[in-house]
Amino acid sequence: MKRLLIVDDQPNIRQMIRLALQGRFELQEAADADEAYAILLATPPDGIVLDVMMPGSINGFQLCERIKCDARMAAIHVVLVTACGQVSNQELGRSLGADAYFVKPFSPLALARHLTQALIPATGALA
Amino acid sequence: MLPTTGNTPSMKNEANRLTPAELETAWAQCPWAAAAIGGEGTVRAINPAFTRVTGLAADSVLGLSEADFDAHFDAKVLEHRRVETAVGSLRAVHYFRDATAQSENELRLSNTAEVLREPLASIYGFAELLLTLNYDEATRRDLTSTLLEQVEVMSNLINHLLDVSKNGQADTRLEGMSLKRSSDPGDGE
Repeated sequence: MKRLLIVDDQPNIRQMIRLALQGRFELQEAADADEAYAILLATPPDGIVLDVMMPGSINGFQLCERIKCDARMAAIHVVLVTACGQVSNQELGRSLGADAYFVKPFSPLALARHLTQALIPATGALA
Repeated sequence: MLPTTGNTPSMKNEANRLTPAELETAWAQCPWAAAAIGGEGTVRAINPAFTRVTGLAADSVLGLSEADFDAHFDAKVLEHRRVETAVGSLRAVHYFRDATAQSENELRLSNTAEVLREPLASIYGFAELLLTLNYDEATRRDLTSTLLEQVEVMSNLINHLLDVSKNGQADTRLEGMSLKRSSDPGDGE
C-alpha cells in the first residue's frame, strides 16, 4: 500500500483528509513542517499533503523546496493545501516543484481522486 | 500598476527596445523593491529600493533559495507580487511595496478571506464526506458535531470582523482568535 504523509497544524483538517484517504493509503500525520521533515528523512512516503502556513522553523513552501531539491525525496508527490489563494502563491508553489495545489476550502474527495490517480494509476479514480 | 521586467512583446521594433543601460536605470529607479531569482532558484540580485522598503540588507538575502527568501516576508506588512519570467536565465522577479500603500479595505479583504478559509475548509469537507460516504452512527454524530463547531468558529470570526469594522480598528489579523475547537483531539487519535 502506498504511504502518504498529511501535514497540517489544524487537527480538523488532518482528520478530514484522513477520512477521505483511509483504506487506500497507509497514512501518517504531522502537525508542522519540522515534524514532517524528520519523518521524511526517516521513512520517505510516496506522497505528501502539505499545508503552507504553519508554526515552526520552516513553512510548507520551504519544505516543498527541500523535498524537490533532495535526490532522496524528489520523487515524492507533493500536494500543497492552503488558505493562500492568490495566484502568486500558486505560481511559487509550482515553481518549487509542487505537483498540485488545492486552495481551502477544497473537496476532500477531489483530493483523494487526485492522489489515487497520481499514485495508484492502475486503479484510477475513486469508486 | 505592477512593474514588468525587460522588453515586452508590445515593443514592435528594434528602435523601441531599451538598451542594457536603460534597463539598468529602470531597475535601479523602480520604486518597488525588486529581487531577481536566477534559473538555479536563488536570489541573484536586488534593486536599490529593496533594502529601503524591506529593511533587509543585500547580504541577508542574496543567494537564498526562493522559498527561504519568500519566508522572510509578512503579507500583512508588505504587498508582494511574484512575476514569472523567461528572460535570459531569470526564473522570476519578486516585487514588494509597503502594504500601507494598499487601501485598508483591500488589506482587510485579503486577511479576512485567508482567515475564513480555514473553518470553511472543515465545513465544506465534513459536509461532503457526510453526504457521500457511509459512516456508522457514532462517527456520523462526531463529524456532524465537528462541522457545527466549525460553523460556530466561523460565526465568531464574522462577529469579530464586524466589531473591528464598527470600531474602525486597522488590525484585522484576528490575533488571539483560535481556529481550533477546545476539544480538538491530539495527534494520536
